[in-house]
Amino acid sequence: MDFHRSLIIVLALAVLPLSAALAAGVSGRVVGADGKGIADAVVFVDAAPESAAARSPATATMDQINKTFVPHVLPVVVGTEVRFPNRDQISHHVYSFSRTKNFELPLYKGENAPPVLFDKPGVVKIGCNIHDWMSAVILVVPTPHFAVTDAEGHFKLAGLPPGNYRLLAWHEQSREKTADTAQRVQVAGSDLELTFQLSLSDDRSRPAMRGSRWDQ
Amino acid sequence: MGPVGWWSRSRLRTKIFVAFSALVVAVLIATLGFTQFVVSREAQRTLNRELLTTGQLFDGLLVERAARLRTNSILLASDFALKRIIATHFDANYDPATLASAALSYQSRIGAELLWITDENGLLLVSSPGASHGGTSLASFSPVKEALESGEAASTIGEINGVLFQLVAVPVFGPDVIGFLLLGQAIDDAFAARLRQAAGLDITFLTQDRVFASSWPAQDRDRLLPSNEARTEFLHWQAAHKPLLLKLAGERFLSLVFPVDARLAQPLYALAQGSYDKALAPLRSLQWRILLIGSGALLGALLIGIGLAGGIISPVQTLVSGMREVHRGNLHYRSSIERHDELGFLAKSFNDMVGGLEEREHLKDTFGRFVSHDVAEAVLNGRVPLEGERRDVTILFQDIRGFTGLSEGLDPAALLKLLNRFFTEVVAAVEAEGGVVKQFVGDGVMALFGAPQAYQDHAQRAVRAALGIVNRLAGLNRELQQQGLPALQIGVGIHTGAVVAGLIGPDNRVEYGVVGDPVNLANRVESLTKEVQATVLVSREISAQLSPAFVLGRTAMLPVKGKRQPIEVVEVLGLD
Repeated sequence: MDFHRSLIIVLALAVLPLSAALAAGVSGRVVGADGKGIADAVVFVDAAPESAAARSPATATMDQINKTFVPHVLPVVVGTEVRFPNRDQISHHVYSFSRTKNFELPLYKGENAPPVLFDKPGVVKIGCNIHDWMSAVILVVPTPHFAVTDAEGHFKLAGLPPGNYRLLAWHEQSREKTADTAQRVQVAGSDLELTFQLSLSDDRSRPAMRGSRWDQ
Repeated sequence: MGPVGWWSRSRLRTKIFVAFSALVVAVLIATLGFTQFVVSREAQRTLNRELLTTGQLFDGLLVERAARLRTNSILLASDFALKRIIATHFDANYDPATLASAALSYQSRIGAELLWITDENGLLLVSSPGASHGGTSLASFSPVKEALESGEAASTIGEINGVLFQLVAVPVFGPDVIGFLLLGQAIDDAFAARLRQAAGLDITFLTQDRVFASSWPAQDRDRLLPSNEARTEFLHWQAAHKPLLLKLAGERFLSLVFPVDARLAQPLYALAQGSYDKALAPLRSLQWRILLIGSGALLGALLIGIGLAGGIISPVQTLVSGMREVHRGNLHYRSSIERHDELGFLAKSFNDMVGGLEEREHLKDTFGRFVSHDVAEAVLNGRVPLEGERRDVTILFQDIRGFTGLSEGLDPAALLKLLNRFFTEVVAAVEAEGGVVKQFVGDGVMALFGAPQAYQDHAQRAVRAALGIVNRLAGLNRELQQQGLPALQIGVGIHTGAVVAGLIGPDNRVEYGVVGDPVNLANRVESLTKEVQATVLVSREISAQLSPAFVLGRTAMLPVKGKRQPIEVVEVLGLD
């Protein structure tokens, strides 16, 4: 009996690095109708095999620097607690009315706001009550496998165990229903390339107003 | 008699009066007419300017009001509490009643007549005033439509439930659009009345078929606004941007139509009206005043004119009536005008002239007393050539026989009276035949026929005159005998021949007379009458010129001194 247990352990240990060696990535681009890359899009895994288990609950941070939310788009897995540190010298009043998460962090400075738990998947539009132009999005996704595209629209998802995956692409101005962007892939040890095409509506963000010398 | 004829025949006073009054009346009418024209034109211009300015003013007022509403609405839409309340429509347990009461509260805060809330797609959530009519989509209703498309505040003018509103649709951000506010301020009678106070003109907002708001009182609208039929054509004019003069309910209005940008079924206009008659009211009172002053001036001018005219006319009239007197022969008349101006000079000259005339008549009369009137006339009229002339003249001498004896029996006064009485007859008889008694020689008479007044038959005339004397004497003698006085006996001698006739004597004692042998001869013939006991004796030269009608008598031969041959004389007895 000790021998069987040890063998299993050895085999398990052996399999582990094997499975680790067998994890692959999915990378690619998100492009628009004109073929140009789309930045700040989120490509995420909507359905994953059980082996791609959720990690332990994560935390994330969305800063307020120079009256801007940084980053503008923050994907987090369901169950993440997000902190909103205020790096500015003036107070901010962070809020969201989104169905996914309706919360409010009334006027505070520095770290004087409790973290907010995002326990439902969905889109959370975040704003500041004082500064109308400040806005950000927290995309609460079901799995920890997600990536934000860079300026050229490139994304990379790594460490995906082999299995069947469904990937979705989301953008703040995307005209498509996110569900309609689904692409199914079979990960089997080698990297895959995917392209998502989204058509975007006009950017309606408002210009910032930072002219005063009291602004810091 | 045309006007020209009337004018030339009318009296001087009338002329002055008419000319003067015509002038004043013309000036008055010209003044009135001119002020009428100028003031009326200025009133119209001012009103036009006011109307056009009103258009701009009023446009500005509307725009400003809309801008205020817009600003206030944007501020309202930024209210966090409101955002939070609106965001509740995302919730499963959304309560429209809370939203409705919030809408009411905010509506009164901002002072708008209307506040609606829609979701981020334009779907109506609540409307205030009134209950929540949730469910209607306003996505195609301006200005929500524009706000949806642009993501910014949009404003327009529209109609809701029959009321005209200035509307603003404002997106509510949180931070993306979570809904829209639609606010409205009514364009109603109260607003029109405020515009009227600001602009001074009555304003009406209307389309072709409907009047939405007006500053006119409701009861006056039917008569003070153009009727529907008139309205179409009238609104057509608005493109011209020129004020129109309209007559409505007996009053005249200058009207201007402005298009108003709105989302309605028919184009919306604002009609500005200013009372033209009221603007002209000061003109009326001005005109009355001018008329009054003018009439007073006219009256005054007329009175002065009359007075002035009188001052000139009446002395003229006095002189005119004086002239009439003189015409009638009254040469004693003198004008009593005593002035130091031209008229005074005229009057004085008049008097001098009449005096001169009077003196001349006096002279003539006086002259005529001593000389026959004809001679006096001829001399005064210059018909007697001063140098003398040679002409054939008949000379008649007449003498009273036995005068000496007669003179002893009468006193001098009675004698002269008798003599003069006789001479009167003689002169009458002589002048009746166109002759002239040249002089009275004692108890005799010398008469001339054919000078100074020329007659072809001077010889016959002389003879007829002689016979006339005889006849008249007969009558006279009868009277004398009745008075117990002796009858007069006369002798007449007549001769004719060439003599020199003219003014004889020095200048200051001139007499008209004749010179020559025939004169002496005539005298000789007369003295022969006593010798031959004839009454009328004539020379052969005379008898040769007598017509057969004359009855002749004896003839005689008359020796004449200085002539070799005696002359033949013949008696004239009468005329058949």
